[in-house]
Amino acid sequence: MFDTALSANDLIFLAKGAGMTLLVTAIAVFFGTVLGIIFGVIRYQIGPWWAAPLTFFLDIFRSIPLLIQLVLANAFITAVLKIKMSGFTVACGVLSLYTAAYCAEIVRGGIEAVPQTLRRAARSLGMTWGQDMTSVVLPLATRVALPSWIGLALGVMKDSALVYIVQVVELLKSTQILITRLQEPLFLLLICGLFYFVISFPIARFGGYLEKRWSND
Amino acid sequence: MKPAILAAGLLAASVAASPVMADKLDDIIAAGVLRCAVVLDFPPMGSRDADNNPIGFDVDYCNDLAAALGVTAEVVETTFPERIPALMSGSVDVAVASTSDTLERAKTVGFSIPYYAFENAVVANDKAGITSWEGMKGKVVGATAGTYEAIWLEGKVKEWGEGEFRPYQNQADVFLALSQGQLDATVSTVEVAEANVKSGNFPGIAIADKAPMVPDYVALITLREEFGLINYMNLFINQQVRTGRYAELYKKWVGEGVPADLTISGVYR
Amino acid sequence: MFNYNFRWNQALNSLPQMLEGALVTMEIAILSMVIGIVVAILLTACRLSGNRVLYGAATTWVEIARNTPALFQIYMVHFGLGGFGIHLSPYLSLLIGIAFNNAGYLAENFRGALKAIPDTQTRAARSLGMSAPQAFTNVVMPQMLRISFLPMTNQMVWAILMTSLGAVVAMNTDLYGVTSELNARSFRTFELFAIAAVIFYVITKVITLSARLLAARLFRY
Repeated sequence: MFDTALSANDLIFLAKGAGMTLLVTAIAVFFGTVLGIIFGVIRYQIGPWWAAPLTFFLDIFRSIPLLIQLVLANAFITAVLKIKMSGFTVACGVLSLYTAAYCAEIVRGGIEAVPQTLRRAARSLGMTWGQDMTSVVLPLATRVALPSWIGLALGVMKDSALVYIVQVVELLKSTQILITRLQEPLFLLLICGLFYFVISFPIARFGGYLEKRWSND
Repeated sequence: MKPAILAAGLLAASVAASPVMADKLDDIIAAGVLRCAVVLDFPPMGSRDADNNPIGFDVDYCNDLAAALGVTAEVVETTFPERIPALMSGSVDVAVASTSDTLERAKTVGFSIPYYAFENAVVANDKAGITSWEGMKGKVVGATAGTYEAIWLEGKVKEWGEGEFRPYQNQADVFLALSQGQLDATVSTVEVAEANVKSGNFPGIAIADKAPMVPDYVALITLREEFGLINYMNLFINQQVRTGRYAELYKKWVGEGVPADLTISGVYR
Repeated sequence: MFNYNFRWNQALNSLPQMLEGALVTMEIAILSMVIGIVVAILLTACRLSGNRVLYGAATTWVEIARNTPALFQIYMVHFGLGGFGIHLSPYLSLLIGIAFNNAGYLAENFRGALKAIPDTQTRAARSLGMSAPQAFTNVVMPQMLRISFLPMTNQMVWAILMTSLGAVVAMNTDLYGVTSELNARSFRTFELFAIAAVIFYVITKVITLSARLLAARLFRY
C-alpha cells in the first residue's frame, strides 16, 4: 500500500489546500464572532419584537444550505451587480455571515444565562450599562457560551469544504485534483480526512473538558 | 469675442460627446492584456505540464489571438461550469475553452464561428460488454454535468426509457467512476477519451464506438453585445485556417489525421 | 439599476420540477433521520455496555462522524467504497453518508441526554425485575428521546440542508440537483437558486414549527 506516487510537490500542494481551509475558517470565525456578538447583544437589548427583522435575516442563514448561499451570493455579486470579486472574498463574506448568525444565538443564550439579580446589583452599584456588560456579563456569559462557540468554530472549519463551489481551492478540492492525476482515491482521501480529524478532535475534546470544568455539578 | 466663445463651446461639446462607448476590442488593446478563460483539465485542448504551466491547443490559440491583437495573453484557469459565469462577471475577456455553440447558450453569450470540431466516442468499462453505442441502452451512464455530450446522453437515456444517467461535477469524477465500474459507459470527445485511456491512470476502460452525434463544433465566446470583438475573432479563426496554423497546431496537439473541416458544405458559412 | 436581465419567467417555469426535487429531498432527509436515530440508539447502547470492543467501535464512529466534513463523508461513501468494488447509487451514497453523519451527532446528543437522567431510574427498573435491555428500552430510552427532542429537530434541519451535498455524487433528483441541472442548461443562476433557497427556507420552517407543535402535544407533562 505504501508504494505511492505521491511526491513532495504533491504534499506541498495538499498543504497549500489545508492552509487555504484554515485561512478561510480563521477569517470567517473572526468576523463572524465580532458580528455575532454585536447582533447577539442587539437582539437581547431591544427585545423580541423590535429585533424581529434582524432575527429573520439571521434565520435565513441557518435555514438555507450553505452551498446555495455561496452560489447565490456569487451569482448576485458577479452577474447582477457586476462587481468583480474573487471567489475567496465571496466565500469569506458568506461564511462570516453564516458564523455570525449562529454566533448571535450563542451570545444571546450566554447573556440570558447571567442571573438578572447580578446585573441589577451591578447597576445599583452605579455601574453604567457598558461597565456592567464588560465586568459582569462578559466573564459569566463566556463561561456558558465558550463550549458552544468552539463547536461552532469547528463546524465552520468543516463547512469550509463547501467553498470549492466558488472556485476556492481548499483541502478537499486539492485532494480531488490529486486523485485525478494519481488515481489513488482511498489513500488520498484518508490523508484528507486525517487532517480534518487531527485539527478538530483535540479542540473538540478540549471544549468538552472546559464544559465539564465550568458546569455547576 | 462671442463667435470665439461659441466655437470653444462647440469644440468642448464635441469632445465631450465623442463616443465614450469604446468597445471591448479597444479596451483589450488599450489595456495591453487579453484575459482568456481556458479549461485546464481537458487534454489536449488544455492541461498542465510537469511544471504546472498551462499548455494545449486552446492555450496556443489564446496566445495567437493575443499576438494578433498586439497584447500579452493571460490564461485564467476556469472549470467547465464557470466559463460563462466568468465571462458574464467580467473576470475574463474571452473564453477559449472548447465551448459548444448551442442555441440555448447563444441566448446569453456571443459565439464566434467554430474554431474546432470534436467527434465524440463512447468510452466503456471493459466489464460492461458494450461494443456499440446502442449497447449503452439500459446501462448506467454518465458525463460531466452541463456539457454538450451530457445533454445528448441524458436525452438518449430518456428516449430509451431505461437505464440511468448520472451527471458528475467534473471530468475527473466521471472517469474515476467509470474505472471503478460505477458507470458502465460515458461519452466524451475522442481526444479526451484517447488521452485518458492511453495515460493508464484509469485501468479497465476502452473506447467502444463512435457516438452518432453531429460533430461538436466549438467556438470562442465573449459578451453578446461585443460585435467588434466577435467580428475580429471570426476573421482571426479564418486566418488561422488559411495560414495553416490550424493544421499545424492540430498536428502538434492531436497528432495523426486530418483536422476537422470547419465548414458545412453547401451552406454559406 | 441592475445591468442584468432578470428572467423570472424562465425560472418559474421550472417550479414543478423543483418541487418534485423537494419531495425527494424530504424523502432522503426523513429516511436518513430514521436510520440515524436507530443507529444512534444502538451506538449509545454499545457505549453503555461496558464491552471494550463495542465501546471503542461506537466511539470511533461518533468521533469520525463529528470531526470530519459531511461532504467528505458522502464523497468517501461513493468513491472510497467504489475503490473496493462496492457500487452504490448516488441516492444510496447520499442517504448512507447523511445517515452516518446523523448517527454520530445524535449519539452524542443521546449521551448528553442520558447524563440528565438519574440512575435511580435504572436501579428502580432493575429492582422491579426488568433485565438491563428491558430497563433501557422501557424506562430510560423514552426519557432520553424526550430530552433530545430539540437537538433531534436541529439535526433534521441539518439533514435537509445536507442533501444539497448530493451534487458531488451525481445526485440530480433532489432539489439542489434539479436546480443545478437547470442552471447548467440556461445559466439563470441567480433566479433559479433564489427560488430554490425560498423552497428550502419554507421546508425548514415547516419542519421546525411542526416539531414545536409536536413537542407541545407530546411533552405536556
